[in-house]
Amino acid sequence: MKEFIDLALDVANAAGAAFADMRVVEKRENVIFVERRSLKQLDEYESSGYGVRVLLDGAWGFASSTELNRESVIATAQLAVAMARASATVPQAQPASMAPSPACTDTIVSPCLEDPFAVPNAEKADLLLSACDRMLNVQDVVMAWGMLHFIRMRRVIGNTDGSRLDLTHTVSHPMLEAVAAVGGESQVRNYTDGASQAGYEFIRSSDLLGNSERWAEEAVMKCKADDCPVGKMDLVLSPSHLALTIHESVGHPTELDRILGWEANMAGKSFVEPGFVGEYQYGSDIINFTAGNELVGGLGTWGYDDDGVKLHDFPVVRNGKLVALGCTRETAPLVGWSKSNGCCRADGFASVPINRIPNLYLEPGTDDSVTADDLIADVERGIYIEGRGSFSIDQMRNNFQFGGDLFWLIEGGKRVRPLKKVTYQSQTTSFWRSCDGMAGRHDWRPFGLMNCGKGEPGQVMRMTHGASTCRFRNIDVGGAKL
Amino acid sequence: MKNMDEIGSILNAVLGKTGGYEASALYYRQQRLATRFADNAITQNLGGSEEYIRLTLGQEGRRGSASTNKLDADSLASLIKRAEAICGDVAPDPEYMPPLPQQEFPQLSGRFCEETASLTPADLAARVGEVAALAAAENYRASGIITADHSRTVLANSAGLHASDDVTEFKVSSTMHGPKGSGHGSAAANLAAKVDLRAAAGKALATAIAAQNPVDIKPGDYDVIFEPGAVWSLLLFLAFNLDAREAEEGVSAFTDLVGEKVFDERVNLGLRLDDPNLSPPPFALNGLATRPVEWVRDGILQRLNHTRYWAGQKGVEADPEVVPLYMAGEDRSTADLIANCERGLLVKRLWYIRYVDRKELLLTGMTRDGLFRIEDGRVVEPVKNLRFNESPLVFLKNVCGLSRTERVDSWEKAVVPAVMSREFTFDSKTESL
Repeated sequence: MKEFIDLALDVANAAGAAFADMRVVEKRENVIFVERRSLKQLDEYESSGYGVRVLLDGAWGFASSTELNRESVIATAQLAVAMARASATVPQAQPASMAPSPACTDTIVSPCLEDPFAVPNAEKADLLLSACDRMLNVQDVVMAWGMLHFIRMRRVIGNTDGSRLDLTHTVSHPMLEAVAAVGGESQVRNYTDGASQAGYEFIRSSDLLGNSERWAEEAVMKCKADDCPVGKMDLVLSPSHLALTIHESVGHPTELDRILGWEANMAGKSFVEPGFVGEYQYGSDIINFTAGNELVGGLGTWGYDDDGVKLHDFPVVRNGKLVALGCTRETAPLVGWSKSNGCCRADGFASVPINRIPNLYLEPGTDDSVTADDLIADVERGIYIEGRGSFSIDQMRNNFQFGGDLFWLIEGGKRVRPLKKVTYQSQTTSFWRSCDGMAGRHDWRPFGLMNCGKGEPGQVMRMTHGASTCRFRNIDVGGAKL
Repeated sequence: MKNMDEIGSILNAVLGKTGGYEASALYYRQQRLATRFADNAITQNLGGSEEYIRLTLGQEGRRGSASTNKLDADSLASLIKRAEAICGDVAPDPEYMPPLPQQEFPQLSGRFCEETASLTPADLAARVGEVAALAAAENYRASGIITADHSRTVLANSAGLHASDDVTEFKVSSTMHGPKGSGHGSAAANLAAKVDLRAAAGKALATAIAAQNPVDIKPGDYDVIFEPGAVWSLLLFLAFNLDAREAEEGVSAFTDLVGEKVFDERVNLGLRLDDPNLSPPPFALNGLATRPVEWVRDGILQRLNHTRYWAGQKGVEADPEVVPLYMAGEDRSTADLIANCERGLLVKRLWYIRYVDRKELLLTGMTRDGLFRIEDGRVVEPVKNLRFNESPLVFLKNVCGLSRTERVDSWEKAVVPAVMSREFTFDSKTESL
């Protein structure tokens, strides 16, 4: 492989490239999908290919291929050069450049105690069939589905800085959902712990079978629950719910490429400006967000990004104040920063690496004795929310509406009865500034998100968020017409 | 790119080594150019191709699949072994469906164009240059993407089915930003020559100019005119909920509604093979031949989408894909709809639509890139973006006017008109421009 990488870089250098890299990606995936009592899909995908990036005359070109041989590598690198030359005909105001980054040589294989690809497919299928069967045996549950998805991705990266990286990680992702129908009402309840960079041990620890009946019963319970009340209320939000709130209202707005307008046509821009860094009060003073590039089990714990930048944790918000944005070697110089913090990733060999959300989590409260129940105890009337549901945020990442998966009405400091169809609406910074309570470290949970869509052509990326249970005051609840 | 004979030989060789199994093989290749731009400059420029084969084996109700993008003899032998191992490792599926025999596939024209398949990076860059120049002339900033794709799909199975499809797609999508507002325009066709790039970019620019300095507007129920792109954003969710089995299980908004008048009588939804702007693929990936389908006629729900298994259970014909969706229009322009609107809102584009309640098909999302107040048949001013919580069922029930149809291309393809509808619920505003 080294020979081919050197060959591609030679073609780029001969053309006068200021920077070039070749990224070979080998991917193996296993998908098991059960719907009702039917094994609908049992697939194994294997793919490999490579992409060549060339920075020439201040403009970028990228080309990819699946044919790893001398002739094809040369042709692909030449196509990348041609793409860069074409780009240069409609040049950027400030020619593209790369912030410096030290050359690195490294090999990393992520932790994987039990290889999911070695676990018999029959065992994996039986797990889902049994879990779905248990859910379907609960009265009023009319549909159930489950999926196991495993990915092993090896990235071999070489660039003109001299970096040579060989990086392999394994991802395990379970999903399970029960759908109940009672009278004219239908509600769902999901497994809510996300994915992890781990082996099959993560599936075993998720105890899908043990929890399936409870989830099914909760789907039925939701059908019979009261609808969402309307008005300003306090919210107590669990880690499994906050993961997506963090993703949409903190992760995306702090991507520098979005701030620069590069995603304006589709994913949108951001209310954040580069000048906000060090100045802007993003949340209350108990809010501390960290880009957790070294988080064990984090889906974004890649060791190095696709720019070849070695990954470290870094603070994004401290005591409520914005202190950093996620950037790449390409975006950092455009706002006068000397180096990247490693947010450049592509979802496969045929995709251009772009500015991405890293693992991003909310640090737990400083008082470890505080529990979720303590937060609820100080709520006169509010709602406790678990899990992911409806989510929608505007193209500047400001106005949002979220739902969830399980809801309890809080009255007099206690959870009193379940609710359904709960939504709340807020704006990013007024929401995070309204946070006045946070459970301690023991309550903190990670949540691996598998399907962050961004870019054109669209790419799907993975990262992990995390939080302890938090309390938010005086939020608009129940705006949606039911 | 491998020609059809070469692909046929590969698939026959694979199928020939799967004796004892019910086998289906899918070959897919895509060749793509994609040029992204922002701030009137090219920011990403991508070219390349990929291909893969997916092999599905079935035996006594058991089923397993494997795929690879390596097409040499060793990789294909490994593919067969992996599929055999998977198939042999699992319990029988009570809903297993064997491969289909040969189907009668429709002959569809206008799906492939050699000129589109032969476009170069320089060709796309020149087109981006035109869009950027248009924006720069008004001191606006253009962002977007232009793509030229050529895809080839071939199916073959052990029951004798063989089908192939070659399709080209050319698309432009552009958003123009001024200091206090934005506009969007897009166009797509199988043939690059049918895409009027300057019209799409010009629409984005004209909308952006008109959208500057929007004023406050109170959320509430408004009569609306949705342009075709916004219509499709909403109807896409409706299309995905046309499943017959889910309706029978009581988890769909269409439960017990077949044969009922669900929408305004002007609403006709279906799959057509004869629209010159969008010919569907001749087959679904499970091998079913595409055929015309009427989902809704004169506002009455005619049928729901039946998978092969469910169709067998119910004794009806199985349906191919729901998309591309066709919604009939009427012989008038969007401007005519506006002229007929006493008070309302003109919606250019929707964003981030998600379910609030799937059973009710209640959706939330927001307007973006131009929202305008209409009064006495005229667009009078831009207004700030709003969030809606509304159902496409209500939107189509309250229809009071349709325009001529257009092809739209967002996630999936469709041909739809602009739609005028009454009392669409917006319940909050967003200050974002």
